[in-house]
Amino acid sequence: MARSENAPIRNPGGAPLQGVRVADFTMHAAGPFCAHMLSLLGAQCIKIETAVRPDIFRKPHPVYGRMGAASFDQVASNKLSVQLNLKSPEGVDLAKRIVAVSDIVAESFRPGVMERLGLGYEVLKQVRPGLVMVSISASGQTGPERGYAGYAPLFGAAGGLGTLTGYEDGPPTEIRHVMDHSTGLTAAMGTLAAYLRKQRTGLGQHVDVAAREVACGFIGDALLQYAATGTAPRRMGNDMPQIAPHNTYACAGEDAWVAIVVETDAQWRAFSTVLQRSDWLADTRYATAASRWTHRRELDAAVGAWTRERSREEVTQVLQAAGVAAFPSYTAQDIVDDPHMRERGAIKTMTSPQGETRSVVGPPWRFSRSPAALERWTPALGEHNDYVFGELLGLSRARIEELVATKVIY
Amino acid sequence: MSEHKDDPLAGITVIEHADGVAASYAGRMFAALGANVIKIEPPSVGAALRHAAPSLTKEPAASALFHYLNSGKRFVTCALGSTRGRALLDELLGKAALLIDDTPVAQRVQLALDPDSIAARFPALVHVSVLPFGAMGAHAGYRASELNVLHAGGEGYLMPNGLTLESFPDRGPVKIYGHFAEMIGGTSAAVAALAALAACEASGGQFVDVSVQDANVSVGCFAVQRLGEGVLENRRERSFKYGGVLECSDGYIGVLTLEQRQWEGLVELMGNPPWALDPALRDPLERSRRGAEINRHLRAWATTQRVDEVVQRGQALSVPLAKYNGPGDILDSEQIKARHVFEPLELPSLGTVPAFTAPLQLDGHALALGHGAAAPGADNEAIWCGLLGHTATELDDWIRHGTV
Repeated sequence: MARSENAPIRNPGGAPLQGVRVADFTMHAAGPFCAHMLSLLGAQCIKIETAVRPDIFRKPHPVYGRMGAASFDQVASNKLSVQLNLKSPEGVDLAKRIVAVSDIVAESFRPGVMERLGLGYEVLKQVRPGLVMVSISASGQTGPERGYAGYAPLFGAAGGLGTLTGYEDGPPTEIRHVMDHSTGLTAAMGTLAAYLRKQRTGLGQHVDVAAREVACGFIGDALLQYAATGTAPRRMGNDMPQIAPHNTYACAGEDAWVAIVVETDAQWRAFSTVLQRSDWLADTRYATAASRWTHRRELDAAVGAWTRERSREEVTQVLQAAGVAAFPSYTAQDIVDDPHMRERGAIKTMTSPQGETRSVVGPPWRFSRSPAALERWTPALGEHNDYVFGELLGLSRARIEELVATKVIY
Repeated sequence: MSEHKDDPLAGITVIEHADGVAASYAGRMFAALGANVIKIEPPSVGAALRHAAPSLTKEPAASALFHYLNSGKRFVTCALGSTRGRALLDELLGKAALLIDDTPVAQRVQLALDPDSIAARFPALVHVSVLPFGAMGAHAGYRASELNVLHAGGEGYLMPNGLTLESFPDRGPVKIYGHFAEMIGGTSAAVAALAALAACEASGGQFVDVSVQDANVSVGCFAVQRLGEGVLENRRERSFKYGGVLECSDGYIGVLTLEQRQWEGLVELMGNPPWALDPALRDPLERSRRGAEINRHLRAWATTQRVDEVVQRGQALSVPLAKYNGPGDILDSEQIKARHVFEPLELPSLGTVPAFTAPLQLDGHALALGHGAAAPGADNEAIWCGLLGHTATELDDWIRHGTV
């Protein structure tokens, strides 16, 4: 098994990627989420950044309405931070030295930028034989649109997911951060697959993830339907073909909703019983899934009238007890307040070095023998310069100070 | 499973016992990455997902969703309610590195699929459970479909924003198309499974509890982060201050300018209109404050534009723009063709159909699935006899008794 010789034991005890090191050149959301996943799994992730072009969480984000830097950034948490000015030759050399002691490189520049910096895969695999490198971009490393710029909603647009999302009589709909982060999650999957191959063969690989293709993956059934029949599905609001009731219904309270899905005849009988609508069981309009689908708007009106008189929690409780799928439409506050999420470790409380305490999102998996963990707050810019350049790469104190003075470590 | 020598998971056998989308999607990812994925279904009828709408053909019914989720796998049938069926499953697990299972918690002991008994029988096996709310916790027994987990993860509440919300301000949340939340759960399960396999040498086999809700909270983490900043996000306030979906003369585009140079490119793309040259709008904070005014101008300008032309011109100016592509646009796209991410697969009753393979490439090559989904038990002889060494007579006997 190939693991970094110099990797210190600074990651969560026994986590699956204990001893693996990631050189993380990613910025913004999709790429950092990939490296964040690897860090939760125990890899030591060194975020390589610069004051010349700070990552988006380190500055205001006015389009989004955030007028200052974030004090905590989920996708930067659990990582170490070093500063490197990659526009200087010495900065590139130091980057290569970090890669030389790493197992994985992650980057999310536009295609061609790493090559222009002298840090392309062909160069880096010479620096670190067996290297796994993951490149995350809008449209991929190849093709006529490889240089296209993009953000999450545009990935969802180009990949079709946003086009098919929306009300039946409305426009397409923006897919937000979940598009970025699902791209990062997919990239983590590809990276791990390549890393597993490296363990078994010693051979590295370059993983190329295109965010628009990640969006395509979420509509693969629609793409297949179109390819096979020439007919594509259209925007359909909350409908799911041949399933009714299938909707989000208003409940008692402000902007309170519950999602209800009745798939089978058995669930329909249970649902009708809970709603005390035995008349529905004798109504031919609702006798089969197909006929319920045909009459779904009438059903929606009747179900909505019932839910409006009840809380989301009451509806969920009585329907789940009867074996019917129902769950509140959770806000972020609901998520952090849910004891189920806390018990699973999917939400945890963290305190910053400055004493700020807040709820954060923990690892989304529970390993019985090698638990994943979120242990570190967002690093300050360059917080780990001394450890990485001094302890890990062996630079003297004087040399580090010289590189800071000449704005290489910057 | 393709047969490419560079497939990262070549030689790894995965047993998939999955009726839901999330676990099936995880198995599909393993198949695309080269693993030998064997899907176990109940005899005769097969998995319930085989009947999910819409169908590509009526007789025999061919679900688009099932075919998408299960291409590249091999198919055996086995009645796990019988002693013989469970023994056959154990024989398969003895050949496997990974089990992916979405059996409801309450049924696991009865089927000998509970984590303790699996760990006792197969200590080197990675056992990944994929359930809507996970295998432990107060909601572990809850029933859920896509719509439920999308809302349990928080993103359901926050959809839609922008133009869709402005068009229908009084409507409730709208879901993301298809099975997005469940596929997030499946991808998260694949990540966890790969990590556990990577740790096998040090840790041995283990049980991994994957919750689709947890996975969606994870990809929706920004809402929790915003909560920590004192902002409880909702559909209205999450809208971008300006930009977003724009209706052109022949379709829709999206535009988002987060950086100064991108805004300047957009102004140039619009032909430097006087309103955009207001010096105050050079300040991003001012643009944020005057977002509604900017949107009025942007939307009026967009109606005079044609989608393909404006995207091309805008991207040449480094303005982040994209067309809202439909499935037909995607299949016809020169970019997608150049990436070879569609593979011709033979589907029963349909012939050869291009199918999307996987959203990643390795060393410049698209992944391949090799073959489409087949009928329940299509690989019974190859697996039960060819792989495990049973005789044709035994197989006939099991078929007669409904075990296979």
